[in-house]
Amino acid sequence: MSGTVTDPTPTNPTPTPTDELVVSGLSVHYGGVRAVSSVSFTVGPGQCVGIIGANGAGKTSTLKALMGLVPRTAERIQFGDHDLTRVKARDVVRHGIGYVPEGRHVFPGLTVEKNLLLGAYVRAWKGETRSTLGEVFELFPVLGEMRHRLAGALSGGQQQMLAVGRALMSKPRLILLDEPSMGLSPKLIEDILAVLQRLSAAGHALLLVEQNAKLTFEATRTCLVMENGEVAMTGTSAELRDDPRVRQIYLGL
Amino acid sequence: MEVFFQTLVGGLGFGAVYALVAMGFSIVYRTMGLVNFAHGQVVMIGAYAASTFYMTAHVPFFISIPVAMVVTGLIGLVIERVLRPLENKDFDLMLIGTIGFGMVLESLATIIWGATGHAVPSPVDTEPLDVFGIRIRTYSIVVLAVAALATVALVLFLQRTKRGAAMQAVAMDHEAATAVGIHVGRSNAVAFAIGAGLAALAGALVAPMLYVNPTLGGSLGIKGFAAAILGGFGNIPGAVVGGLAIGVLDSYAAGRFQAYSELVVFLVFTVIIMIKPTGLFGERTVNRA
Repeated sequence: MSGTVTDPTPTNPTPTPTDELVVSGLSVHYGGVRAVSSVSFTVGPGQCVGIIGANGAGKTSTLKALMGLVPRTAERIQFGDHDLTRVKARDVVRHGIGYVPEGRHVFPGLTVEKNLLLGAYVRAWKGETRSTLGEVFELFPVLGEMRHRLAGALSGGQQQMLAVGRALMSKPRLILLDEPSMGLSPKLIEDILAVLQRLSAAGHALLLVEQNAKLTFEATRTCLVMENGEVAMTGTSAELRDDPRVRQIYLGL
Repeated sequence: MEVFFQTLVGGLGFGAVYALVAMGFSIVYRTMGLVNFAHGQVVMIGAYAASTFYMTAHVPFFISIPVAMVVTGLIGLVIERVLRPLENKDFDLMLIGTIGFGMVLESLATIIWGATGHAVPSPVDTEPLDVFGIRIRTYSIVVLAVAALATVALVLFLQRTKRGAAMQAVAMDHEAATAVGIHVGRSNAVAFAIGAGLAALAGALVAPMLYVNPTLGGSLGIKGFAAAILGGFGNIPGAVVGGLAIGVLDSYAAGRFQAYSELVVFLVFTVIIMIKPTGLFGERTVNRA
């Protein structure tokens, strides 16, 4: 991938004050195993919130539960004016929430362009979607160059860009990102950080799940630390970065 | 040399039918990752539906085909809807469910039309064409042309339409497809309906070439399935090449080995698949088990 991220900003969703994600008492069970127990947090309009934690702490399950991709129970999942507790997984995107799954999950046998267009599945594939496609290509020039290639032939970093681009195509006001840094080189992680900062600057609210605490603290203002399916700590990213326990466990300092 | 070409031409007509059957298998596999083992029986129902409309309702043959396609398309929707609760839960049971549906359809055909079957007069009664001494049945040309049109339509559907792209996306990653807003169940239903429609097309076209009876599905199904595997399962142009190859192979084997022809066809098929397990145009495989 070309590395640097060019200037033009992507879609500008202009958050309204009501675009707040409020989650309370969210739990996920797999059979008898409790993966997430009664997690609560909010993501304000245009805010960037991180969730860090070790492997198996319940971070991915939390995101999947928000998307409705795993069976969940919750007292409240609300985004803006809409109650999402009973919304089906396929309809979550219609409420303005984009999802970048762990391990990218691009559609390998389809072209880059088709992958992006499918991101806009809930929109008509006409004028306005075409201009969103142009914006994504401006944000990730490498995707524009490879638009006719099969997504499966892209490198890991390029696939990550594609997964982010695909989420952007639905014009989301909130983007859930699951481990965007996974398996990427330090250089590419820098690029991911730049992308996150750009998305945030463009007004998208972000909920970032990461094992890479350093990246998360740089990209977000507020953070949760998850341990064994529960929220162990919450605070501003700056506070958490200086917390001795966090430094020892998650930053290895 | 003349015999060689005569056999080749003779095989292409049946080959086109196998190609259509194979395409039906492939579209469901490509979009759902599922082998529909009831597919052969849906072909048989299509053959009965079309020939019944044609012979008893005296509807023109080429009108009876779309009618039969609607009938089987609905059967396809029913099969998908009944099996849907098993999706993402127990894929093996879903496979077995399709086998069960095949048996049900075969029994239904016996109840409705009887076990004896019927012959269908050729809807095209012109003399065979004579090209450089090789006689080509006019009806074979019709079959080939219809199969070619169906192939082009299907490929365009998958490549150019939003629904086609979405259906492929579902097969590649149903969770990511759900997250972008695709209704996976509906996508699968459309796949089943298209597969069943292709089955009726194959059944209707083959009806005047064979004796239509309730066990027709077994033999056509297995050859169509072999054709799909030979071409690379899930690959639409591959299904066409595989179908034509099986048809031609069948034709040569019938001429040379008579009663052992099936054995020879499947022996050759087995050897090719052992050498190239992904089939002639095999690409990725869908793994959803």
